[in-house]
Amino acid sequence: MQKVINTESIKSVLSAKGWDQKHLAKEIGVSAQAITNWFKGADFPRPDKLLKLSTLLALPFASLVLTPGTELPVVAFRKRAGTKTTEDHIIQAQHTGNLLRPLVPYLPAPKSLRTYIASPSCQYTQLQNAVASVRQKLGIGLRSVMSYSQLIKEFSDNDAVIVPVMWGKKSRHENALHILLKSENVTFIFLNLDSHLEDFKFWMAHELAHVYTPDLAGTDEGENFADAFAGALLFPRELAQEAYAQATHKTSVSGQLKVIQQCADDHAISLNSVYIEVNNYAKSLELPLLDINSKSIHALRSMKQGELVSETLFKPLPPEPVVYMAASRNMFKSDFFDALKKLVKDKETSAGYIQQILASSLTDANALYKELMR
Amino acid sequence: MLVLLDTCVYLRLAKRIRPFLGLKFGHHDYVLAVLPAVENEVLKNPTLKYHNPWFTEGAFESERIAHAVRLSKQEKIDLSNIKSVFTGHVHTKLSEFMIGGRSPPGAVDCEVLGFAYLRQAIVVTDDLGLHLLAADFKLAIWHGYELLHKLFAAKIVTSDLIRDIYDAMERNQDITATWMNAKHITFKKVFGKRS
Repeated sequence: MQKVINTESIKSVLSAKGWDQKHLAKEIGVSAQAITNWFKGADFPRPDKLLKLSTLLALPFASLVLTPGTELPVVAFRKRAGTKTTEDHIIQAQHTGNLLRPLVPYLPAPKSLRTYIASPSCQYTQLQNAVASVRQKLGIGLRSVMSYSQLIKEFSDNDAVIVPVMWGKKSRHENALHILLKSENVTFIFLNLDSHLEDFKFWMAHELAHVYTPDLAGTDEGENFADAFAGALLFPRELAQEAYAQATHKTSVSGQLKVIQQCADDHAISLNSVYIEVNNYAKSLELPLLDINSKSIHALRSMKQGELVSETLFKPLPPEPVVYMAASRNMFKSDFFDALKKLVKDKETSAGYIQQILASSLTDANALYKELMR
Repeated sequence: MLVLLDTCVYLRLAKRIRPFLGLKFGHHDYVLAVLPAVENEVLKNPTLKYHNPWFTEGAFESERIAHAVRLSKQEKIDLSNIKSVFTGHVHTKLSEFMIGGRSPPGAVDCEVLGFAYLRQAIVVTDDLGLHLLAADFKLAIWHGYELLHKLFAAKIVTSDLIRDIYDAMERNQDITATWMNAKHITFKKVFGKRS
């Protein structure tokens, strides 16, 4: 990778400190000519001198070094409720993305035809049209239940690699992480299986929206579209219309809630998703909204939260590495562990790599490593 | 001189060498320590906690608290920049960190090495990626078995204890290639020459 010193940022700090190049050279323990060569791009400091530069000038790597032609991975989070994305989360996710680059050559060759939503919009009619064309392409009627297998196939057909992980119910700030490597044209989607089943399908649909709209990945606009798309894909206008008609025939709030709950159960999605879609339908036609308020939806939802995905997939928990990797391959149609196996065998990479890309413990990474090396 | 242990080395040695942290030994007055990042790595990880139930026992916890190494506000800022330089360096030569039994050093590894740079300390790790990183930055680093050998030379540990430690690592399938290689070379007084 070509690296050059970011002369501009260094000169700016030198000027603020009242230092000249000669003084800097003395502090670092190199000749003044060495500094000139660094600034001209004719030479690059050795690692120990670069570290000295960083500490002397209080500059991080990103301000100290320019790596032309290198792009950062695009990252997007499906946050856990009540958490806030910090700079550290972004840096860590980008780091994971960079570590995933060497894995790409071990994945199957990319497909040439992908689904791409050219003009993503949250406007109701446009969104419903986008959803209808995706459902049509998948051969799913507008009133049919969108199954997990149909969603999973779409990831694989669009070169998005699902990485099922078990990050615990509350230990991470995100429940899904989307990492797009633009130059490699590959997306990795980490899905936390320690999530409630009724939320999981929505997150998958949310992540699928990111896959369809790579240009919006990592932006607020992309997040808003992904949320709107997910809800509409899982419970489109036609279903919302029927649910609205049934619910508004009920004379009580509890009667309306029962209708919404039944739809949620039928489609294996959350009560909240159905509620939002039904009200979005009503808003689009300027009809009265449901009598239910969102507070009662959340209260009912937290009372009725079902099993975690990991609990339904693996009994007993935690699964043996061989079972976990088989589920990844067979249920999520993911080539991730097959590619990882080829990489660690080919390069003799140690378990620490697995620990980092999966954000697991070294013990778990070691167990997976042993299984991969069989 | 401060000697900072990474998580794996601490877990491999601290259970059997008592007392451990704060222990002064050798001609250079080495003092063993772990950073809060190591503590957090274990506490936040159910599997590590499960496999090392002794970690949260009173005597071990008290010892870590008593010899805790804290960072000043300025050190925390410096450490953040240093970690970014390490990580940036790893990214620029990633392929070298992924071959020959190595892995790119993780966030906690970089934190331990960064702290060692700030305090002129020595890092002890069995992670070969971290050894490569330390070598690139000309920072002092030991393998876990090197620390054990220095403790042996300083008569802190006995041959029996070394045998116990090896036995536990082999039984738990936790032994690395470097420890294996050292068994009949560095510790030939204990295990004899390779037959």
